[in-house]
Amino acid sequence: MKRVLVIGSGISGMACAVRCAHHGVHVTLVSPDPSERSQSVMAAGGINAVIAEHEAGDSVACHIEDTLKGGCRLGGEKAVTGLCGHAEEILKMLVGIGTVFSVDKLGQPLRRAFGGQTYKRTYYCGASTGKQIVSALIMEVRRFEAAGLIERRLRCCFHSALIHDGVCYGALLYDETLDKPEAVYADAVVMGTGGQNALFGKTTGSTQCDGYAEGRLFMQGAALKNLEFIQYHPTTLETAQKRMLISEAARGEGGRLFFERDGKRIYFMEEKYGDRGNLMTRDVISREIGAVKEQVFLDISFLGKKTIDERLPEVRDVCAKYGSLDVYIQPIPVEPSVHFFMGGLAVHLNHETNIRNLFAVGECASMYHGANRLGGNSLLAAMYSGGVAADEIADRPGVGSAPDFSDFISLECERMEKRQSADSPFPVMYIRDMLADSMRERMGIVRDENSLDEGIKDADYYLSVAGRLRYDSSVKRYTNYSLTGILTLARAALECARFRKESRGAHYRSDHTQMSEEYGAATIITFDDGKYSVRLDKEREYES
Amino acid sequence: MRVSILRQKSPESEPYREIFEYDGSSDNSVAGVLDHINYNDDIVDINGRRTDRIGWECSCLQGICGACAMVINGVPALACETFVRDLKGEEIDIRPLRKYPVIHDLIVDRKSIHENLRQTDIYIGEYQPSDKVGHEQQYIAAKCLKCGLCLEVCPNYVNGKKFFGAVFANDCYLVAARNRSKSKDIVGMYSRHFGGECSKSLSCMDVCPMKIPTIASMAWLNRK
Repeated sequence: MKRVLVIGSGISGMACAVRCAHHGVHVTLVSPDPSERSQSVMAAGGINAVIAEHEAGDSVACHIEDTLKGGCRLGGEKAVTGLCGHAEEILKMLVGIGTVFSVDKLGQPLRRAFGGQTYKRTYYCGASTGKQIVSALIMEVRRFEAAGLIERRLRCCFHSALIHDGVCYGALLYDETLDKPEAVYADAVVMGTGGQNALFGKTTGSTQCDGYAEGRLFMQGAALKNLEFIQYHPTTLETAQKRMLISEAARGEGGRLFFERDGKRIYFMEEKYGDRGNLMTRDVISREIGAVKEQVFLDISFLGKKTIDERLPEVRDVCAKYGSLDVYIQPIPVEPSVHFFMGGLAVHLNHETNIRNLFAVGECASMYHGANRLGGNSLLAAMYSGGVAADEIADRPGVGSAPDFSDFISLECERMEKRQSADSPFPVMYIRDMLADSMRERMGIVRDENSLDEGIKDADYYLSVAGRLRYDSSVKRYTNYSLTGILTLARAALECARFRKESRGAHYRSDHTQMSEEYGAATIITFDDGKYSVRLDKEREYES
Repeated sequence: MRVSILRQKSPESEPYREIFEYDGSSDNSVAGVLDHINYNDDIVDINGRRTDRIGWECSCLQGICGACAMVINGVPALACETFVRDLKGEEIDIRPLRKYPVIHDLIVDRKSIHENLRQTDIYIGEYQPSDKVGHEQQYIAAKCLKCGLCLEVCPNYVNGKKFFGAVFANDCYLVAARNRSKSKDIVGMYSRHFGGECSKSLSCMDVCPMKIPTIASMAWLNRK
């Protein structure tokens, strides 16, 4: 029987595992933690689909156009056509496995309007769409566990891929329960490891999405794509450990952004953009807030207790719990925060990377969102990409016997042992935090050549010391061995942002403020023995 | 403020207590306190003795993933939504959940929660609703974090025994309500692993971060 190794058990990983199992392919589903802790559970908004009973005027073609437009024409047309064309099937599948969607009196799923979209086509489960989909998929995985087609491995971390001559034969994992590394061979390896949050420290997402797998695979020869496109959410509440997302709904209901100068409130978005200023797109508002020197506030108090309680209870509760704020009377201090990564592993239409039999799905793969992502498209892409990879794998002949990786494995084990024997109190998190501070400053919402050069210098410095330092070995091994991969990924992201001398979607350069025809293709970056090579994918290699 | 933590180096070793000084903000959550203590050049206890960093787990840090479940001042809770300002006394007492084997410090092995559901085939399979009502209840039941707080507080639950606790009852309800063809089998499983042994202290409902009304799941299943 064909065997697949799926790494990451959020929505994309589970979607892939379930579909593989449907095809009769055996799946080993690996993750450090249970699916209930994946970042997927934090996706609140919904999932986009144009179904037979669509809103009058809407069409799949319109969904495709909105997605391509939102992505500033960098999301490949063929890929996006596939994504939107399969949305109805995906929605039906999710309903069919028992996902608790919000429904009307007849039991039909309800849809809501979402930013950047011409029609209402976002289906949702209250305020916890991601969580509800995760719960349904966990049960579906369980069904195939019972059938012997899916085997879950918990407390297992990705270490590296087993690659020989451009072909992937499996992965080296670190089993935390047994406290030892283990090589797992497979006919295909699918990465579903999520976004690159650790590059920026505190974000709206999970602490567990650190980008290590992408960084490590990049060092092993996998191409990365569009790393400069990072979506900021304009309104988040800062806490000691993370940035809490204040839903767009707060502005949708009439919330107003302002700052105070000389005791007077300046409603800067309205002054610049008119009545609908507070509802401008995420990237515009993020940049405008970033340009204000004073603390910016979001005021919803004037909406009154009744409206807030009925329409914005989550906003009220998050502010009370994490900010000790009473939104009935107090404005909310807000700041933009990193929210989603459009870039990631470069994949072809079948979700295979440039390394044969190595696939990537979900947020760690770069495909559909181009220069910016529409709300409701990430859950759709997570489901769709998992399915595409599974179909491709099922169609292929098995890989046959693997070459001998024992030298590679023993070298890596030796390195791990050496790290583990260090008697040092120095925490890896110090370097991670220095990197995050640098990335926030140098590769923030607004970048320029100088800031990116400085960022590259910083990253190079951290990389040069990272290998020489000894770290506290009382923490998880993964925490220590993942550092270099994370730093390398950051370095690659800076390189991509420096290369793209234009402003497009979420990438804004103060020294090149206009969109340029010349850059109308995806950025591809590769790594060869310490050398970073960046190019534009003008031949559309990754759109086939 | 003093923070007293029940620690354990490995699954095999003996637990021991260590006390730390916390001088951060009272607006921090207990998760923030643990980060604060860990984030130093050197981690030292209250007497200045160097020690290991405290092992604990997190992911979302906003109360929707269940990773940081532990016992704080005697109450099973999520560390990320328990705030210093709300705790009484001059000392915070933290220990790992005791119904599960300790892996390291505050990290416990909760795989039995998933294992119990797997062994009893608790999955929906195909959506064929049992009745038109109950949507809201199913929505809340599906929000279960599998954090294990309900089992920690339960007077009847013992890890490895046949009573599987509130987390099991709620998933049973969800499956039976959303697939009528499995309803009978599920009710059988529910009787075997829950129904007979629950003494109805309902403390599970007090500690549930998602406020799942387990009693409603029980009532529905008992009627079937």
